[in-house]
Amino acid sequence: MAPPFLPADGDPVPPALRGFARAHADLVELVEKPAHLVARDRDPARRVGLVSGGGSGHEPLHAGFLGRGMLDAVAPGKVFASPHNLQVLEASRRAAGPEGVLHVVKNYTGDRINFGIAAERLRLEGVEVRRVLVDDDLATESDETATGRRGTGATVVVEKLLGGAADTGLGLDELAALGAEFAAASRSLAVASRAQTSLHTGEPSFALDAGELEYGVGIHGERAQKSIDRPSTEALVSRLLDELVAGLPAGPSEVIAVVNGLGGTTLLELYGLHDLVLDGLAQRGLTVSAALVGTFVPALDMTGFSLTLTRLQPSWSAYWTAPAVTPALTVGAQP
Amino acid sequence: MNQEAVLRTFARAAEDAHAALTELDQRSGDGDFGDNLRGGLREAVARFDAGGTSAFGALGEVFLDEVGGTSGPLLGLLFTEIAQALDRGGSFGDGARAGLAAIQRVGEAQVGDRTLVDALSPAVDAFATGGFVAAAAAAKKGADHTAELRARMGRASYVGDRAKGEPDPGAVGIAVLFWAAATVESPDAAVEKPL
Repeated sequence: MAPPFLPADGDPVPPALRGFARAHADLVELVEKPAHLVARDRDPARRVGLVSGGGSGHEPLHAGFLGRGMLDAVAPGKVFASPHNLQVLEASRRAAGPEGVLHVVKNYTGDRINFGIAAERLRLEGVEVRRVLVDDDLATESDETATGRRGTGATVVVEKLLGGAADTGLGLDELAALGAEFAAASRSLAVASRAQTSLHTGEPSFALDAGELEYGVGIHGERAQKSIDRPSTEALVSRLLDELVAGLPAGPSEVIAVVNGLGGTTLLELYGLHDLVLDGLAQRGLTVSAALVGTFVPALDMTGFSLTLTRLQPSWSAYWTAPAVTPALTVGAQP
Repeated sequence: MNQEAVLRTFARAAEDAHAALTELDQRSGDGDFGDNLRGGLREAVARFDAGGTSAFGALGEVFLDEVGGTSGPLLGLLFTEIAQALDRGGSFGDGARAGLAAIQRVGEAQVGDRTLVDALSPAVDAFATGGFVAAAAAAKKGADHTAELRARMGRASYVGDRAKGEPDPGAVGIAVLFWAAATVESPDAAVEKPL
């Protein structure tokens, strides 16, 4: 197996951050120590800064969603590792609006603790902070552990909806409550046919046979709880949709659907999957009123995809269609 | 209170306890707690000696910004709350209580989960009625008791019952802090040293 194209030695994250910031210099600013990125533009109506972050290796998450209509600042950790609390603190200081900061955190222990420590430090400085926890991964739903569902593909949905909501001028508590509703209305499920390439060995992080799929896989190379014999693509989508629809909390029949590549899956495949998803959801009585197809929350170059469904309350549609201009997602007219 | 003397006493105690804390953490965690506590205290003493900050202010800054692991920054929250309470004219116990609340908001650990909360929570309660000496005794008792607990939070939760039999190193670190404070503030009292 050929190794990835990375600089000869050292941490691959800093050069990638520099390259990203130079590629999108009109939209974002990079501060290298402690590493964080800040959007250059925000809607003047926005009163709360939106800050996210987490491990690297999930690009374009999170920095790709920096910009008017979405995130105000992000803190990128090392590959698959939480950012340090100081990165989150500095990002939040820069992003804080007149009503404070809202942290969008994927549900992992390290992220929760480091964002939490930063939040305590912000409170000591007099900055109001609330947190929205994204915990959409149906495969990790269990009554037996206290850790709860992982945060995965729904992150991009929550960040887009929150961005649209923030630009209506909502206050911190209203926005935090809405964000919790967005997350609670979302579920995801992921499958992989090949693990991501280890940056250290150049080999897949775990082995799968040609006829096997990892069902319920995470985005950090952790194995799923089960491997399955590979069904046809049609049967696979049908099975995923059955579980997702059963796992979604009750709500409106309109949904946002995300077909997300895990890094090594082509758009040719993802669009074909989306066609199956739309038909499958229609058969199950759900209407897809908005969709995203592409690679938004990958696990390095893992071959596979995730499906995310978010039940869409009628009042949320305007948040989804509100303009956004970011490196990885542009919605609507230029503001 | 004499913050500077508490810092220096705490730092010397962390040097003495380094090997024992490392061994405890190797049983249940990744073995870096002794290094983190000693290294953070050395750096905090250096930062305090450079001037411009109180002793607990220096401790807070160093442990929040520079000390690794999860417990390092959590201790930094405690030190920062103590520094701010003392700056406001409040007591060490007031700051420790605010620090406990912050640590529990962030880490979500309760008493009985085999974390530093098991030493800090009883120490905070004991301080309110019995001051430094009672708090130090309660912290040591709480830390000792973690030897009988199974971890539900933190890295030790991955090893289950295998960590039982020896105390949680983070809880012992808290007991060392309260021992240092009691030794400085009540020099005539007999305060039993943790470890």
